[in-house]
Amino acid sequence: MKNGFDLAVLGVLFVAVIGWVYTPYDPVEQAFMDIRLTGASWNHWLGVDGLGRDVASRLWRAAANTVGMGAAATTGCLLSAVILLALEQGGPAWVRRSIRGVVAAWIGIPVLFVGLLLLVFLRPSPATLVLAAALGSVPLAFRQCRVLWLEQRQALYVTASVVLGASRGHLLRQTLWPNLKIDFLALAKLVFALCILELSGLAFLGLVGDPDFPELGALLRQNQTYVFRQASLVVWPGLTLFVILSLIQLSNIRRDR
Amino acid sequence: MVRFARVALRLTGAFLAISLFLFLAIRTLPGDPVALRLKNPSAEQVAAERERLGLDRPVPVQYARYIGRFFAGDWGESIRTGASVREDVGRYLPATFELALSALFLGVVAGGMLGLLAETLRTVWLRRAAFALGMAGLTVPVFWIGFLLLLGGSLWLGWFPPGGRASPGVVAPGLTGFLVPDLVLSGRWSEAWETLRFLVLPAFCLSLLPAAQVCTTLRARLQDKRIHLLLTSLRARGLSPARIWFRHMLKLTGGPVVTVAGTNFGILLGGAVLTETVFSWPGMGRYLVAAVLERDLYVIQNALLLAIMLVLAVVYVSDLLAGSLRQPEDSSAAEGPGGGREEGPR
Repeated sequence: MKNGFDLAVLGVLFVAVIGWVYTPYDPVEQAFMDIRLTGASWNHWLGVDGLGRDVASRLWRAAANTVGMGAAATTGCLLSAVILLALEQGGPAWVRRSIRGVVAAWIGIPVLFVGLLLLVFLRPSPATLVLAAALGSVPLAFRQCRVLWLEQRQALYVTASVVLGASRGHLLRQTLWPNLKIDFLALAKLVFALCILELSGLAFLGLVGDPDFPELGALLRQNQTYVFRQASLVVWPGLTLFVILSLIQLSNIRRDR
Repeated sequence: MVRFARVALRLTGAFLAISLFLFLAIRTLPGDPVALRLKNPSAEQVAAERERLGLDRPVPVQYARYIGRFFAGDWGESIRTGASVREDVGRYLPATFELALSALFLGVVAGGMLGLLAETLRTVWLRRAAFALGMAGLTVPVFWIGFLLLLGGSLWLGWFPPGGRASPGVVAPGLTGFLVPDLVLSGRWSEAWETLRFLVLPAFCLSLLPAAQVCTTLRARLQDKRIHLLLTSLRARGLSPARIWFRHMLKLTGGPVVTVAGTNFGILLGGAVLTETVFSWPGMGRYLVAAVLERDLYVIQNALLLAIMLVLAVVYVSDLLAGSLRQPEDSSAAEGPGGGREEGPR
């Protein structure tokens, strides 16, 4: 760990994913209808929402779902970007040109529109949102991976390893990866932050399918009816998202220094 | 000219790819579009309608007809509302453009000022505060800040209306499609002022992202060693700050800022979907989301294609514009340390 923000990011993400295995109350069951829209109390730290559910429990589960979906989208996005890069670097000239052309057009399309395009033929669901966020971030990840790759490939120590007769596997494992991994990790963090933001945006628009699904953007949508009656219902989900995103950005800024 | 041709070629390629994707995607959906169009049709009616729409022709012919109809503006009727898609787009698109352009203007001005302050202020913590403020747009979810603005500006302070584009009584004169300029142009100042209050919160909310992008780009550009050296030498030659910034620095930093602004305008048109939802702004974003959720085929096939192409066109044209702004670096440099023009003491 290079800086405290990395630790903070890991800590926050770890606490968030605990929401999958433990929450104080059932985040879906409408068990507290008689005390709905009440503020914080000893039994309900963040109050009860308009449908009689414990807000803290829903928020915790929503954070876990958002982080999990973000991680899945990031993995998909980076894998796709690396595969595209391998094709672009190793393929014939027409493949290289096609990939560059497609990425140049693709990068101009906002992720929300990528989501809308996918939803033309896919049903609204968490999996569709993950796919949209992953696909929407591929052009950015591809371009960044390409820059990293080209920088490393032209480095003198790589040329030296090639001259010394290093095999492809050895070159990749022992020479390139140790130098690439720090920048690649930073890229992964950036993509993760973007994916979370995009997923929450799509969920906020109601594209997650299940109207009760706990996700941070979806919680904002579900609670927007009560924004003027109990403001905390929209403050907490957004604040959680803001804290996660800020920590990731700060850890990347600190690293760049 | 070559760059212009390349942009036109790219746009054509993107148009063909996206239109083909939408055309094929809609063909995979369950249900007969003719049955969706007509209510309780007879077999003859279905056959006649299929022939009229060209659905009995081979697939490539159908695609060519779709493209032809798109360019002719024959976009059909919304399955949800029965209204003409072309008229709907004519109503919603200017609303989105008005919001996005206002946000872009606010974002470029605020981001430019914050980027400048973040680099030129003498006090370290003030520089950092300016940069942090400028960066906020990259980490604050736009739909969340929208709710906070609504709470603060509408509920607590009561300065702004809670949503919508104008008061119910206000009728647009229909000159440009942009409500506030239209009301100003027709001399209805009090209504224009009232309508401007509807625009402030959504525009501010949407401006956070371009402000952050412009702020970071400008700061990075000003931190470039060559520009730093040029700035120092121009100051040393005794040029006035206005001359330094407006004559020299604007040229040198303009290119990247225009690219960022242009790229952001595309993103703003996408991001406007979220802002429109929070502030109940009657724009293209809400129209498209509703159409996709309810499988409104004609809206998806035409309005979504138009929206994406507009975004891409804006991005490419701003790239082209930025390319032409990149030229002056050498001329400014010549006027700098050893340039030897008339102004400033030696």
